[in-house]
Amino acid sequence: MLRIGQVQHGGAWNPRPSALRRLGWELGRRTSIEPAPDVVPVRLADPGLHRTPMLYLTGTGSLPPFGEAERSALRRFLQYGGFMLVDAADGSDGSGFDASVRAELARVLPASPLAAIPRDHVLYKTFYLLDRQGGRVLVKPWLEGQVLDGRLAVIYSQNDLGGAWARSELGDWEYPCTPGGEAQRETAVRVGVNVAMYALCTDYKDDAVHLPFIMRRRS
Amino acid sequence: MDGDFNAWRLTALTPLPPWALALLAAASLGAVALAWRGLRAEQRRGRRAALLALRAGAALLALFLLAEPAVELLRTARVRNRFAVLVDGSRSMNYPLEPGGPSRARAAAEFLADHRSELSRLTDRVDLEVYAFGGDVAAVSPEQAARGVPATAGKTDVLGALEAVNAGAGGAAAASGRKLAGALVVSDGADNGALQEGVAGPSAARLRALGFPVNAVALGRDAPRDLAIERVAVDDFAFVRNTVKVDATLRVRGFSDQTVQVVLRREGSVVAQASVQLERGRDRYAVPLAFAPDETGTFVFTVSTPVLPGEAVAENNSRSFVLRVIRDRVRVLMVAGRPSWDVRFLRGLLKQDPNVDLVSFFILRTNTDTPGSQDELSLIPFPVAEIFGEQLHTFDAVLFVNFAYGPYRGLEIDRFLPNIRDYVRSGGALAMIGGEQSFGDGGYGDTPLAEVLPVEPLDGTPEAEGEARVHLTPEGRRHPVTALAAGEGQSEAAWAALPPVTAVNLTRALPPGRGAAVLLEAPSVQVQGRPAPLVAVREVGQGRTLAVATDASWRWGFVAAESGEGNRAYLRFWNAALRWLVKDPALAPLQVEPDAPAVEPGAPVGVTVTSRNPDFGPAAGRKLSAALVSEDGRQVAQGVAVAGADGTARIELVPPGPGAYKIVSRAEGAPDAATAAVAVRGAGPEDADAAPRPALLQAVAETTGGGFSTLPDGSLPRLALNDPEVVEIGRRREVPIWDRWWTLAGLAAVLAAEWVLRRRWGYW
Repeated sequence: MLRIGQVQHGGAWNPRPSALRRLGWELGRRTSIEPAPDVVPVRLADPGLHRTPMLYLTGTGSLPPFGEAERSALRRFLQYGGFMLVDAADGSDGSGFDASVRAELARVLPASPLAAIPRDHVLYKTFYLLDRQGGRVLVKPWLEGQVLDGRLAVIYSQNDLGGAWARSELGDWEYPCTPGGEAQRETAVRVGVNVAMYALCTDYKDDAVHLPFIMRRRS
Repeated sequence: MDGDFNAWRLTALTPLPPWALALLAAASLGAVALAWRGLRAEQRRGRRAALLALRAGAALLALFLLAEPAVELLRTARVRNRFAVLVDGSRSMNYPLEPGGPSRARAAAEFLADHRSELSRLTDRVDLEVYAFGGDVAAVSPEQAARGVPATAGKTDVLGALEAVNAGAGGAAAASGRKLAGALVVSDGADNGALQEGVAGPSAARLRALGFPVNAVALGRDAPRDLAIERVAVDDFAFVRNTVKVDATLRVRGFSDQTVQVVLRREGSVVAQASVQLERGRDRYAVPLAFAPDETGTFVFTVSTPVLPGEAVAENNSRSFVLRVIRDRVRVLMVAGRPSWDVRFLRGLLKQDPNVDLVSFFILRTNTDTPGSQDELSLIPFPVAEIFGEQLHTFDAVLFVNFAYGPYRGLEIDRFLPNIRDYVRSGGALAMIGGEQSFGDGGYGDTPLAEVLPVEPLDGTPEAEGEARVHLTPEGRRHPVTALAAGEGQSEAAWAALPPVTAVNLTRALPPGRGAAVLLEAPSVQVQGRPAPLVAVREVGQGRTLAVATDASWRWGFVAAESGEGNRAYLRFWNAALRWLVKDPALAPLQVEPDAPAVEPGAPVGVTVTSRNPDFGPAAGRKLSAALVSEDGRQVAQGVAVAGADGTARIELVPPGPGAYKIVSRAEGAPDAATAAVAVRGAGPEDADAAPRPALLQAVAETTGGGFSTLPDGSLPRLALNDPEVVEIGRRREVPIWDRWWTLAGLAAVLAAEWVLRRRWGYW
């Protein structure tokens, strides 16, 4: 069962409360992943962090710096196989959440700097064959990641994926997606599916048995 | 000179210490220097010379008196040193001196008999000692040497023998302080000890360090006609179904212009061969042989060439070696019913293991999922017929991770379940790992797989959710799959410290006698009044199965790592489980291992047999046997022993002769035998090469300053010996030569003459 832990930090840590629930619903509808019905708020320095091997870190505005205990716990979590999706809900670039989370991620994994994930990375074919980005906004046409032992331990989106996923209790999308509209929202959902698939299957789709099929569909 | 003394030397009797004498000598020089300085203005050279001579004479006489010189009369003697004759007693001395001639050993005996009187004359100067040598040295009488020493030693070590005799081994008299003045080595020079590679570098230094001349008489010039497999170069182990290269070296003497076959056999069956065209003037041929072993195990291989008419040695025409054939990589098929943390961490572990070739299939969507157009997905069809049909036998182990066979329309996986059952029974391995689609939840209780699983799935019973701690059963405390630490107590403590699992598939333990054992259970989850099995194993037919009735084993790694314990327990459990599933030989309950992969001719084969009970405790007191089985399948030697407290026993087996043998070991009451292999060499180092090496002995003689000759035709060389050492013995007497009246008178006269002349010539 995929239960995602959402990181509680000192800033606005849950700006899209319905986003993960909606992503879980989409995962259950589209894939064989069994999503947990709830999201678990977790504090990095509290015991029990490792019970949810996938974390979601989001926010708007500056992210207050982590304490050393939080950084150490997150570092250990990632080094032993944990995975974290970071999502800039404010669509910031060079300021706000973006600037502060970049600084924090650099302190957590100083030897693994954030870098753009290349277009041929397995992340873009773990379930859907993706060649574009989605989100509430399109600040960057790529995702970034931090690599540990050959796998992506952290994936960072500046496009507010959660904003595209969020849906009200009445079934209305909470935020419009610009500039691409509903197609951009669908891509955001697919990115979310692929990220969840990557968290659970890592590079499974790089196995040789898949290559002929994928090449045929991409040609 | 007094008749009691035969030597003398000058000495000083003065009680003054050396430094005082040195000061006085300096003062005397100062007095002469002062005189010379005062005479610089003297124009007449005769006066100047006379006064300086008188001053120097006075100084010398004064020093003479102060030193109190004396003649020391001594009684000395010349030490009677030793001379060693070393006669080669190795097996190569049985070969003929020349074609059709007597043996080298016979020739050596005749040579010593012919020259006995010349050697006896050495006793005027030295004590004569005679030794037989091979790998060791032993004193023999001159008469025995003249009759011939037995050529039985399995080694020739000329330098080692010389050093041993010099040090006093073999009854030598070095303990009395007498040194060797020289040695005479009578040998064919076929050294396979320190001088095997010739006289160079360290061996030359060791020869020079002996400190005495080594004379040598070489027996034989020409090598006899012979074919030999001189060397076989091959790795200690090879991978099954991969090409193994064996590089044999064929040494040929006296044969040419014909073709010989070099054949490589595995326990009697030819696996490779090559033809070698023998050319005139060429004595060594590199013969590459290649083959691909088709099964794992330890086997004896033999490289051989036929024995041609007129060959001196037949035993060196073959050479055996032991090769361990191992699987190259463990080929594992992993089928997961859906992505989960359990399969994610297990796949990561297997992917990182360089010894595992992992083929994995995840069911990423079900029939009810609606992801969109197929062309936008990376999904591939599940090749059921291929992996569960034609390719199944290529896998060493199959892992079902939360995988149900039923829900997939059109795939008809149930058609292949009998095939998977038969695969297990015929030697395959199957692990079923839990989850809500596994065991009873997957409906396996009424399928052919239930016939081979180590637990009975309870169909229709959903998994028990909630945290459950695990507990080792008595079988689990000793089984290698659940051994997290050395020792039962530590292993139990390690399991108790692990995080609880969060779900348990409900199964029932199989009744006794079905070859199954529950190793780990969840006491808080009860199935019909007993703790639910969590990890169970079973040996069924020729295969093995494993059940892990939870999809939360990942918590033993990732969740445990949060507490600082790391994920070692998780890695160890799954590595051991996989090794056990694929029958890693190191985990078999009965093991047999020879002391060495090859033994010399005539030596016994020592084997150690280790036996464990089905619960993997030491099988103390169990009757164990080991037998040698020849290449034609006959049992040629057998031994029996009782295992000690640690479950091991040592057995010695006497092979009937050279060859390749399978070692088959059995434990009383155990169905499976353990096997190993051993080669009994046909030719030891003495028999491998029949060629004499006169050049080696000549080099030894030249390095040490000794004489050299070669038989036949040669004679006793000029024997070089060190001069005897002179030592003082008995009393000594000192006769002073300074306390004579003329000594003092001479000093007074010189001083008076200088005084008178100085007065007359106006210096005072």
